[in-house]
Amino acid sequence: MKYLLILIPMALLPLVLNDFWLSQVLTRALIMGTIALSLSFLATYLGVVSFAQVTLAGVAGYAIAYFGPNTVGVGVPLPLIVTIPLALILAMAAGAMMGYIARRSRGIYAIMITLAIGVAFFYFTRQNYVLFNGFTGFSGVIAPALGEGNWGDPKPLYFLSLIVAAICVGLVQGFVRSPLGLAVQAVRDAPGRLLALGIPTTLPIVAAFAFSGLIAGSGGILNVWFQERVSSFSVGFGPIIDILIISVIGGLRHPTGAFVGAIVYVVLDIFAIDLIDRDRFNLLIGIVLLLIIVAAPNGLTQLITDGAKKLRGGAAKSRTT
Amino acid sequence: MPLSDAHNTTANALETQGIGKRFGGFWAVKDVTFSVKPGERRAILGPNGAGKTSLFNILTGDYKASAGSIRLFGEDVTKQSIPKRINRGLRRTYQHAYLFDGLSVRDTLFLAVAGIRGGWRQVLPVRLSDPRRAEAERLAEVAGITQFLDRMVSDLSHGQRRQLEIGIALAEDPKVLLLDEPAAGLSPAERPQLSKLLLSLPKEVTVILIEHDMDIAFQTSESVTVLFNGELMAEGTPDEVMADKDVHQIYVGGAHGH
Repeated sequence: MKYLLILIPMALLPLVLNDFWLSQVLTRALIMGTIALSLSFLATYLGVVSFAQVTLAGVAGYAIAYFGPNTVGVGVPLPLIVTIPLALILAMAAGAMMGYIARRSRGIYAIMITLAIGVAFFYFTRQNYVLFNGFTGFSGVIAPALGEGNWGDPKPLYFLSLIVAAICVGLVQGFVRSPLGLAVQAVRDAPGRLLALGIPTTLPIVAAFAFSGLIAGSGGILNVWFQERVSSFSVGFGPIIDILIISVIGGLRHPTGAFVGAIVYVVLDIFAIDLIDRDRFNLLIGIVLLLIIVAAPNGLTQLITDGAKKLRGGAAKSRTT
Repeated sequence: MPLSDAHNTTANALETQGIGKRFGGFWAVKDVTFSVKPGERRAILGPNGAGKTSLFNILTGDYKASAGSIRLFGEDVTKQSIPKRINRGLRRTYQHAYLFDGLSVRDTLFLAVAGIRGGWRQVLPVRLSDPRRAEAERLAEVAGITQFLDRMVSDLSHGQRRQLEIGIALAEDPKVLLLDEPAAGLSPAERPQLSKLLLSLPKEVTVILIEHDMDIAFQTSESVTVLFNGELMAEGTPDEVMADKDVHQIYVGGAHGH
């Protein structure tokens, strides 16, 4: 119910916002938020901070470009009905593989392993021309047709991104209430205890990473339609850090935190030029991140939730006095 | 007559033959041979450092045995993984309650009951009508924590965590239950409640209990094994063990473990 209170106004926004706000701010934030959600999911429920969620998004993005229409003449075009599931399956398989590799790692070691995978994938895409078309990657990756236009047009892509984001949030909330989702949280809290219940820890870890691949892959598909291109820059160190910052700003403890963080990040990215020299964006985002970590260690979402609770508490108090 | 000989039949629930665990040059458990009959209540006593918890860790597979063999209902499980031993009905609780703090009591017991068997349905949210939820509630009732079902595990008191440990251990038809100091850290008021819970455990379940509280140990157990410096020192009924000179020496005469 509370999500409808967010979704309905968001569905009405195209009536009042122009294409710039819809496309460059909200759609971009929804796409980045979806990818960041995959990181928040892993961090909150498995207790692992992964630096390779952009890689998983990239796997799906490259799959869409390679198996779909592009203007570089590389790839094997397949029907859309095959391409999209294939892209998601590849992202999930990549996630599962990553989970298997990192299954015994926690904390800084998991970060290092996922970072290594992310950076290795980045360099691999730059050097491989058969699958990834090297440094330049794929351009002219057009979204599927829709009437006279295509799904990549501002309004359709906004609605599509909103629906995908809502589905992903719903999937996360459903998954964590499933037996496998409970096992994932049990791995986070006490892996040895889970083993003592007769439940091996590898399956929940691999499943969590595969599930995060599904979420990140969904964002990756939207991203390639939004950008109409995918290249090594899409999976580089910059986007990896961007997604981490978004997750931390929004707060890792709640699925919607990723989207709150994404909105703040995108707005700052676009309008930083009005506040500070464009080249100083990293300084600005660094200061914002620092302030949020100091003022609200659990992110803006927690700050907003706590504020709303206080307001409700204050209102209830004033009614009783 | 030592209980090991008395129980040396094919019907033993648990049987060890010369098991030991060595850490470097130090044997934490050395050449321990004992057997426990199905449905028997056995207390394991011994001073700190006697090797009681190490013995449990070997039995469950947390420690790989350096020597000897373990049989569970006649089957050699010495080299089996922890999950395989669990699937054969072996359960344990921990000396320091080791639980899933981020889950509710209900979810913890549900996980203990349901595991992650059943294929792709395991990724679907648990339905309210799921019979395994009812089983989790039954376990909460047995463990006396029904009123805390929806409380987060991190919010439970020490005693409630102990009760939850026992509830978890009772999930999924346990055959041999290893309880590692279930009364540790409980207040005097909570101890009778624990004794009551231990006495109410299903008769067909074999219970092996490490306990420092002699009242609880003797009240709930029909046989006793005493370890000292990692080795088996005495076995018998509570009366026989208490009459043993060596045991008396350990507990009254001032001998110390490590």
